[in-house]
Amino acid sequence: MSIELIIFLVMVGTFMAGCFAAKLPVSVSMLLASVAGALVGGHGIPVRHLVEGTFAYIDTILTIATAMVFMKVVEKSGALDALSSLIIEKFHKVPSLLLILVMLVIMFPGMITGSSTASVLSAGSIMAPILLLLGIPKVNVGAIIAMGGILGMIAPPTNVPAMIICGGIDMPYVGFTLPLALLTFPLAILFVLLLGYKYVRKLDYSLIEGQLDKEIRKTYGVKIYLPILTLAALMLADSLIPAFPDVGTPVLFLIAAFVGLFTGKKFKVLETAKDAVQDVLPVMGILMGVGMFIQIMTLTGVRGLIVNASISMPGPLLYAAMGLAIPAFGAISAFGSASVLGVPFTLAMISGNQVLIVAALSLLAGVGDMVPPTALAGIFAAQVVDEPKYTRILKRSIIPIAVQILYALTFIIFSTPIGKFLGI
Amino acid sequence: MKKHTITALLLTVVVAAVCVYSGNLFLSLRADDVIIPSKDLTEVRMLSDYLPKLKGTRGDTAIYIFKGEEEGGKALVLGGTHPNEPSSYTSAVILVENAKVTVGTLYVIPQAARSAFTHNDSQEASPLYVHFENSKGEVRKFRYGSRAVNPIDQWPDPDVYEHASSGQLLSGSETRNLNRAYPGREDGNLTEQVAFAITEMIKKENIGLTFDLHEASPEYPVINATVAHEKSMDFAAFGLFELDMYGIDMALEPSPVNLHGLTHRELGDYTDTYPLLMETANASQGRLRGATNEKLALDGKDKFYVSAGELGMLYVPYDENGHPIEERVGRHLQGVLSYTAAYNDFSGTPIVIENVPMYEEMIAAKVGDYLN
Amino acid sequence: MLTPITIVYLVILACVLALVVWNLFTEKKFTNQITAAMVTIPLILRLLLIK
Repeated sequence: MSIELIIFLVMVGTFMAGCFAAKLPVSVSMLLASVAGALVGGHGIPVRHLVEGTFAYIDTILTIATAMVFMKVVEKSGALDALSSLIIEKFHKVPSLLLILVMLVIMFPGMITGSSTASVLSAGSIMAPILLLLGIPKVNVGAIIAMGGILGMIAPPTNVPAMIICGGIDMPYVGFTLPLALLTFPLAILFVLLLGYKYVRKLDYSLIEGQLDKEIRKTYGVKIYLPILTLAALMLADSLIPAFPDVGTPVLFLIAAFVGLFTGKKFKVLETAKDAVQDVLPVMGILMGVGMFIQIMTLTGVRGLIVNASISMPGPLLYAAMGLAIPAFGAISAFGSASVLGVPFTLAMISGNQVLIVAALSLLAGVGDMVPPTALAGIFAAQVVDEPKYTRILKRSIIPIAVQILYALTFIIFSTPIGKFLGI
Repeated sequence: MKKHTITALLLTVVVAAVCVYSGNLFLSLRADDVIIPSKDLTEVRMLSDYLPKLKGTRGDTAIYIFKGEEEGGKALVLGGTHPNEPSSYTSAVILVENAKVTVGTLYVIPQAARSAFTHNDSQEASPLYVHFENSKGEVRKFRYGSRAVNPIDQWPDPDVYEHASSGQLLSGSETRNLNRAYPGREDGNLTEQVAFAITEMIKKENIGLTFDLHEASPEYPVINATVAHEKSMDFAAFGLFELDMYGIDMALEPSPVNLHGLTHRELGDYTDTYPLLMETANASQGRLRGATNEKLALDGKDKFYVSAGELGMLYVPYDENGHPIEERVGRHLQGVLSYTAAYNDFSGTPIVIENVPMYEEMIAAKVGDYLN
Repeated sequence: MLTPITIVYLVILACVLALVVWNLFTEKKFTNQITAAMVTIPLILRLLLIK
C-alpha cells in the first residue's frame, strides 16, 4: 500500500470518526482529518498550510454571508410573502408553466454570477414559499431549488467551472452559449416537472388562497418588491451593460438588502445580520475545513493519487471514472474539481470536440455542489425550506443527479458527432 | 464569567497566536530575493521608469541592462512572469549574474510579476523557497511564489475576467495573471499596469527580440516548446535547427490568433518586437503530481508522472530521473542563445551575449555553480 | 494603493468578521465556537492585508 493511500485512509477515517463517532461538526472533523494527514505524512502540524488552504474560499465566504443577509431582509421586510401571493394569484391556472417559470427564476442569479449559492439563497429562497404554497413537499422543493441552483451555475453566460478548465488548457471561453444552454435548460424543465408537477396538476386555488398574504401588498404597494427588483436589475445591468462597474456579487446583494430596509416591515438590522451569519457559519466552517483538507492532500501527494487513479482508467472505464470522480471530488469543491480533475480529463479526451467536452465536464463538476460534506447547493436549499436533514434532499435528488451525469456523459462520448450536428 | 465566554476568550487567544505565527511567515515573503549581478552589468532601471505610477508598488521591478561596447540590436528576457515556474526565474537570475554583452543590449527582468513572488497559491501546498548552494558553499534562497499577482495587491477578482483589448472572457482569477494581461492598460489594475509598462518599455527602447520564459505541467500539450508569433517564425525555425544540434528536442508552435493577453500574441501585435515564449517541463505545477515540496520543484522526480508517462498521457518523456532544474534552465539559456544567434542573422542588428552557460555545461553542473 | 472597490470589500469583510466574532461569543456550544474561530483566521489576515 502506498504512503499516499495510507494518508488518504487516515484522513477519511479521522473525518468519519469525527463526524459520526464523536458527533463533531463537519468543519472541526475536517480540521482534525487534515492535521492527522499531515502528521502521518511527516509534516507535523503545518499551521501555514492549514491557514493557507482556507484562503481559496475567502470570496465565497463574503458571497455567502451577503446573500444570507439579503435573504433575511427580503423575508423580514415582507417582500417574500408579497411576491409569493402575487405570483400564485396570477399564474395558478397554468401550473406547469408556473413551475417552469419558477425554475428559470431560480436559475437566473446562478447564470449571472456563476454561483449556485447565489441562486439558492436569493431566487431559491424567494421562490420556495411559492412552491410550498402550491402543495409541493418541502423535500421536493429543496431538491428543485438545489438542482435549479446547480443548473443556473452551469447555464450560460457565466460558467466558472468551464472557465477554470479553459484556463487550465489555454482555451478561450468562446462558443459555449449553445452547448451550455442545451446541457442545462432541458434538464431544468425536466427536473422541476419531475419533482413538482404531480402535486400541482390538480391545483385547488380556493384551498391555498387563504394562506396568501395579500394584505402586505395592499399596505406597501409596489415598493415592497423593490429589494428583489433592485437585485434583478443590478444583476442584469452587470451582465448586459459593459460600462456597468464590475463590483461583484456581494456588493449587489448588500445594495439590494439596503433598499429592503425602507420598503416594507421594520426589523432590527444588526440582529438580523447576526442571525444571517449564524445561519451560514456551519457552511463557512466547512469551507475552511475543506480548504485545509485539500491543501494537506496536495502537500502529501494524496491529491495526485486521486487524480492519477481517476484518469488512468482504460477505455470505457474512463467515462465511468469521469461520471463518478468529478462529482465525488466536488464533495470538496465543485470549482476545485473542475481544476484538479476537469483539466486532466479534458486533456485525456483531446481528440473530441473540446467545447462540448469542457461544457459537459462543467455539468459534472456542478453535481459536486450536491455531494456532502460541502454540498453548498443542497445544504443551503435545506436551510431555505427549513429541512433539518440535508440528506433527505440529497436522496430526493438522486434521480435528477443520475440523469444529469448520464446526460453530461452522453455529450462527452458523442462530442464529435454532436459538435458536427450543432456546427461547433 | 460564563463558561462559553471563557471558551470564546480562549479560542480568541488561539486565533491570535495562529494569526501572528502564520502572518509572520506570509509577511516574510515580502522581503526581496538577493540578486548579485555580473560585473559586466551596465545599468539597473525600474519598470516604473516606463510607468511612474508603479513606483512604490509591488508591481515595480528591476530591469538589469547589459550594454555592449558595440552598438547592435536589443533583446529582452522576461523571467518570473509566473514565479511558480522556477526554471524561468532561475534562468533569468543566471543571466543577470553571469552575462557579458559585447554587441547590442540585453535587458533582463527576472521578476516580471514581482507581486506574484510575495505569496503562494491556496491549496497548492507550494514550498516557500528553493535553495541553491553556490561554489563558495553559500546557500542562495529564492522565493517559489505563485502563478498570479498577490490578491493583497489586487482584490477582489471579478466573477469573470474580460481581457481589455479583445473582450476575451476568462475565469476571474486570471485577472491577476500577467501573461493574460498584455498589452496592458495604463489605468487598469496592477497586473494590467505591469503589462502596459513592459509593452511601453519595448516600444520606447525599440527592443527587437523578446523572450518570455515559462514552464508547463508534463500533461500539457505545449511543452518543451517555443511558441512564436507568426512574424517570429522564420528566424525561430533556424534557431530550432541549432537547438537540435545541441541535443535539445524543441517543438515550434504558432501563437494562436484567438488566444489573447499572452506575450507571444500581443507583444507581436502591438509592438515591433519579435516575441518568443519557451516552455520546459515542471512537475511541481502539474495536476498529476505527488507530494509537493522543494525537492520536486528542483529535481522533477515523481512516481505518478512516471506511471502517467508509461500510460502515454504526457507530452514529454518521463522516467525516474525526472526533469531536473539544471536541464530546464539549460534549455532556456540555450534557447536564448540560439534564437538570438538566429535573430542576429535575420535582423542584421546583432546582440552578442557571452559567459552564459550553454545546455551541455548546465546539465553537467549545478545551478548553484552559476550563482554569485 | 488601495482601490475604491478593494476598500469596499475590506469594509464588507470587516462587518462579516465582526458578526462572526459576535457569534463566537454568543454561541453556547464549544465545537460551534471552534467553527467560528476557524472562519475568523483568514478574515483577520485578509483584513490586515497580510495574506
